[in-house]
Amino acid sequence: MIYLLLFGVLLALVMINVPIAISIGVVAIGGMLLASGADSMLNVPLALYDGATKFPLLAIPLFVLAGELMNTSSISRRLIDLVSAMIGFVRGGLAMVNIGVSMFFAEISGSAVADVAATGSVLMPAMKKKGYDPHFVAAITSSSASLAIIIPPSISMILYGAIADTSIVKLFLAGVIPGVLGGGMMMALAYYLAIRYNFPREDAFSLKVLGQKFRESAWALLLPIIILGGIFGGIVTATEGAGLAVLAALGIGIFVYKELTVKQLYRCMVRASVQTATVMLLVATSALLGLYLTEARLPQHMAQAIMDFTDSQIAVLMLLNLLFLVLGMFLHGAAAIILVVPMVLPLIHQFGIDPIHFGLIVTLNLAIGQQTPPVASVLATACSIAKVDIWRTSYANLPFIGVLFGLLMLITYVPSISLGLVHLVYGS
Amino acid sequence: MIKQLATSLERILEAFSVALILSMAFVIVFGVIMRKSGASLIWYDEVASILLVWITYFGSATAAIKRSHMGFSGVLFGLKGIQQKIVFWFSEIVVIGFFGVVGIYGWTVLGFFQGETLVSLPWLPVTVAQSVIPIGSALFIIAELLSIPQALEDMAMGRDHDQAELEEYAEECGLDTEELFADRKRTAGVKS
Repeated sequence: MIYLLLFGVLLALVMINVPIAISIGVVAIGGMLLASGADSMLNVPLALYDGATKFPLLAIPLFVLAGELMNTSSISRRLIDLVSAMIGFVRGGLAMVNIGVSMFFAEISGSAVADVAATGSVLMPAMKKKGYDPHFVAAITSSSASLAIIIPPSISMILYGAIADTSIVKLFLAGVIPGVLGGGMMMALAYYLAIRYNFPREDAFSLKVLGQKFRESAWALLLPIIILGGIFGGIVTATEGAGLAVLAALGIGIFVYKELTVKQLYRCMVRASVQTATVMLLVATSALLGLYLTEARLPQHMAQAIMDFTDSQIAVLMLLNLLFLVLGMFLHGAAAIILVVPMVLPLIHQFGIDPIHFGLIVTLNLAIGQQTPPVASVLATACSIAKVDIWRTSYANLPFIGVLFGLLMLITYVPSISLGLVHLVYGS
Repeated sequence: MIKQLATSLERILEAFSVALILSMAFVIVFGVIMRKSGASLIWYDEVASILLVWITYFGSATAAIKRSHMGFSGVLFGLKGIQQKIVFWFSEIVVIGFFGVVGIYGWTVLGFFQGETLVSLPWLPVTVAQSVIPIGSALFIIAELLSIPQALEDMAMGRDHDQAELEEYAEECGLDTEELFADRKRTAGVKS
């Protein structure tokens, strides 16, 4: 009963525009006061401090900063030019380019909203000019950017890894095949729609142009090699890889492309610190809530209740998918991971589900959540830039959500898609 | 007058946040270089973690003055007149009350750490590292109070954080923000 009351208070606070992080903190303090009295309040600042000191989370500000630096310099434009030269010649070329650029960009940015803002502001007007339906333009930009959050490096995976105490490098590795598979599925759908609705092609394929665009973007392409090569090669940890990404992005932006001014650099760092703080405050207040819930043994009680209900791993995975899909409609992805993952971890362990496999399931669920209103940050960003209505765009987005859902089912019930590469590299 | 104060505080907080994130990037890259050269830094993990906590709370105060913490403004923006004002002021009291409690107990807890120092840097008192909680709470409250006039103005115009962030990106991309967000009100309501 008390948990239902606290959950109701949490929901009510979020609904009246109290920041989610603070709503969680208020509920945690309320629960602690009810359970242990005023003396427990001394634990509040300690939990809020300790909650923000998890070492793996250090990668977040650095990847966010690296992404900001790349957004601001001309890296996104160069990637668009390169992918256009590679696949623009097929029917619906710009739709393909949109998906391809999102996949490339995700490897260096790690943020779907940043991806939409950087590539969408260039690609969406170009697609609209070529006669693509604006709702389709917003839908494909938004869905492909969300798919990209399962492609490493991913802020959501870093958060999950830190909270579930799981290897972030293995999570990154597990995202490679599903990311490429999802990109391929989305391109196949775009091609089908292009044939059906007679979308235009871009310029004919030219090896000379491709070579020229490749040379122009060679430094930008070096970034994923530095970041992922360093991390997967075991040379650096995920956090150190993030530090190197910042250094490389700075070097390329300032010395190679010579397009990053001091003022832009300063604004990038301000945005990175603010974005980091909003996520980290959530992590800290959730640690406070976790302290209360752990003392109350709620996650264990929940796990037991579900085990009494079913002993089927398939059913449990379906229930968890349903939970995350519903939560994704109402909560920001980071908030959903931080709030729910600690609660369901005992259940995951009880049913013998690999936490790396589950990490991919959670991340992809939240990618779908970014596409389903009312809370659909990436879709809302794409609609803002394309200047179209979010609900009509949601209708155009249904086939792409279908692709994401199909991929989710494949990943959920065929674990080798996500774990195959991990087992190959690290052994099972 | 209040808006001027808010702008000044925003600039100071931004500068401090930038200094912290730069320091963190430097510490991590320096740590990698030293480890690869066979001279690992013993203070690397502890100092980097402290910098992350500092970024969390100073950055949170910066985010408070910009009103960019993750939240859901759909219901509030959907209300009108006195109902909207009541909900707005109630949420302000909740936010300020939360950081009031955290600040007071954060200050109390500092007393327990007197005489203790960090493990890897014995010359640095633990109270310095932990002071970020009461200082950050006080800054958050000040930032929240100073940003109320702007928040009321934005609420009246239906302009949420999502739009503010996109306007910043659009300006850097050289796009016309007036035209870009002409129909933004219809889709407003979701914060990123």
